[in-house]
Amino acid sequence: MNAVRSAGRPTDRRVPARRPGGSGPLFAAPFLVFFVLFLVVPLLWGLWLSFTDSSLTGRGDAAFAGLGNYTEALTDSRMWESIGNTVVFTLLSTVPLVLFALVMALLVHTGLPGQWLWRLSFFAPYLVPSAVVWQVGVLLYQPDSGMLNTLLQSAGLDAIAWLDDEKYAMWSVVLITVWWTVGFNFLLYLAALQAVPEHLYEAAAIDGAGAWRRLWSITLPQLHRTTALIGVLQILASLKVFDQIFLLTKGGPNGATRPVLEYIYDTGFTGYRLGYAAAMSYVFFALLLVLSVGQFKLFARKEV
Amino acid sequence: MTPPPALPRRRLLRGALYGAAAAAAAPALSACGSVVGSSAVTGGLQFWNLFAGTDGGLMKKMLTQVERRVPELRATSTVLEWGASYYTKLAMSSAGGRPPDLAVMHVSRLAGYAPGGLLDPWDMDTLAEFGIRAEDLNPDALKRGHYDGRPYALPLDTHPLVVYFDREAMDKAGLLDGDGRLVPFDSPEDYLDAAQQLRAVKGKMGPVYGHVRDPAANWRLFWTLFAQTGAEFDISRKPARIDRAAAVRVVRLMHRMMSPECGSMDGASAIGAFANGSSPMIFTGEWDITAFREVEGLDLGASPFPTLLGRPAAWADSHTFVLPHRDDPDPERRRDAHRLVAELFKASFTWAEAGHIPGYLPVVRSRAYGKLSPQSDYAKSAETPALDPPAWFFGAGTDVQSQMSQALQSALGGGTSADETVDRMTDAVEFSLGKPNPA
Repeated sequence: MNAVRSAGRPTDRRVPARRPGGSGPLFAAPFLVFFVLFLVVPLLWGLWLSFTDSSLTGRGDAAFAGLGNYTEALTDSRMWESIGNTVVFTLLSTVPLVLFALVMALLVHTGLPGQWLWRLSFFAPYLVPSAVVWQVGVLLYQPDSGMLNTLLQSAGLDAIAWLDDEKYAMWSVVLITVWWTVGFNFLLYLAALQAVPEHLYEAAAIDGAGAWRRLWSITLPQLHRTTALIGVLQILASLKVFDQIFLLTKGGPNGATRPVLEYIYDTGFTGYRLGYAAAMSYVFFALLLVLSVGQFKLFARKEV
Repeated sequence: MTPPPALPRRRLLRGALYGAAAAAAAPALSACGSVVGSSAVTGGLQFWNLFAGTDGGLMKKMLTQVERRVPELRATSTVLEWGASYYTKLAMSSAGGRPPDLAVMHVSRLAGYAPGGLLDPWDMDTLAEFGIRAEDLNPDALKRGHYDGRPYALPLDTHPLVVYFDREAMDKAGLLDGDGRLVPFDSPEDYLDAAQQLRAVKGKMGPVYGHVRDPAANWRLFWTLFAQTGAEFDISRKPARIDRAAAVRVVRLMHRMMSPECGSMDGASAIGAFANGSSPMIFTGEWDITAFREVEGLDLGASPFPTLLGRPAAWADSHTFVLPHRDDPDPERRRDAHRLVAELFKASFTWAEAGHIPGYLPVVRSRAYGKLSPQSDYAKSAETPALDPPAWFFGAGTDVQSQMSQALQSALGGGTSADETVDRMTDAVEFSLGKPNPA
């Protein structure tokens, strides 16, 4: 960063002819090209599509549909069901993903013996790609020979159709998602914990504060910003859930786990209705925008 | 940090530019390559198919056979993963103007492709020049491959749901006739009694069927039994006309057939149970033959899906050859595509080894096929195929099929009643019926 900026400065004798920041656009160009090509253009193209009845099959007569797709989306019970699923998933996953991460970080930070082992085992699942998570899910949830059912049966209990019973499917997906991604939040908390000034604890210790008092009055308040950050990141990550659900349940059973992104994918890529899928994306986009603004206001107020 | 010398930076930029130029040139160079390739005209007909595993190996073998017989005919086959994504890719390639010369497609998907202009019709006269006439092909599958009176899909095979069994165990249970064929069942009760009897053998399972978390298996079994009732299932226009009583009856029967051991059994477990001898009988697609043929000590028998509800029928689909649409096809390449398909038909005895019933009738009628056991034992299935109802949103790898399978899953697991299940299935159909056909 530094090097780049100073290299372009007029005081740099080796490039005297350059105006300040002259090479900036050049350095930004590759990014800008990709940004425009793969983000701005598709965004606008998608917006245009959402007003047509375009099909993936590219038949020539895609007609302007006005707000037709939007009115259809607003009355499409399946879209709302899938948005409901996304919200349920977000609620169910965000809470444990924040709480467990915190507890794990505290445990490691307070000095469990064998630190490297804990750090590794808490963080390692995060490094695994979703395809592997799916494999783990199969081993775990297999109805006949899966690990969980083997355990249940050896304890004399009935086997559970983890991924195939509407009562359990979403919980099963949440369980494996928490296992998979909690490591990242754990790491953020751990870093934040290490940044808490040691003298605060020393002062508290001198005043005779016990472990709980130090946790409530020093550690948690000091972690407030990190918690806010993790909360925001986690909610966004959970709202765009797709891959592990697509691999584990394909949205089943009976759509009980189908998130809105999968419904949009199904509509556009297996149902070929690109225009309608684009409109639904924009409806979801609008919902996220409202949510983000709300969240921003909430946190901004707290910071003041 | 000290500023780096400017020269290396400039050199770096220049390097980047050169790199970009090279990248830009690469497609041009490869385009050159393909021009050279296509100047041989017959060189590299692009052939897309969805055959992996044993099927893929046999298709490759057939292509080699064809190339040996007709050396000037060259095909480059591209194997893509079966399922919804295959059809997405096929549609997009046609829509994008760069489709393969030839592709394989399930006949059940034709209704979503041919009307939208994604396919071109076959020229039966050209095909006849290479020795294949319409009457040489399975009439049911061929008829289903027609749209607007013209042939769009030529059947390489019919692949039905069948039953495989362990001859020895079945014989012991008295379920085989003198010729080693499965005895007919007079009624569902008759079959359920027999299944109960098989289950009563110590340490053994009864008949198995893998279906859990499969996008199609439940639908296949449902459609097999529903077709046997002969009841109405018309989803060609809204509102759909589905014989509810018959559907409920079928779901109830399915539930009884699956209980207790198959309620939560998936495909791999079912194949495993049959292959390791713990189950004497498995309902499955004929394509699973390769999993069983090599099992040591297993005297493998097969039969069409037993008739339990009145008339013989079994769910079936058909792998067909299609010509993805081109605005301006090269007549030579088109002709070659016809020739390649004709030669593949003639080589399709090899295809029968994968378990499939060839669509090319001279092979099915040949003495060699008659001796191919147990394939020839279920070949009759191809005469009573229960093909998926024709609708643009229906067929192999579609969302609706998967939704129906999921609805059935709940019923087979004991979670929902048959009535509720049929409501959900009907709902899945009605939902799509209300939508415009995107093709």
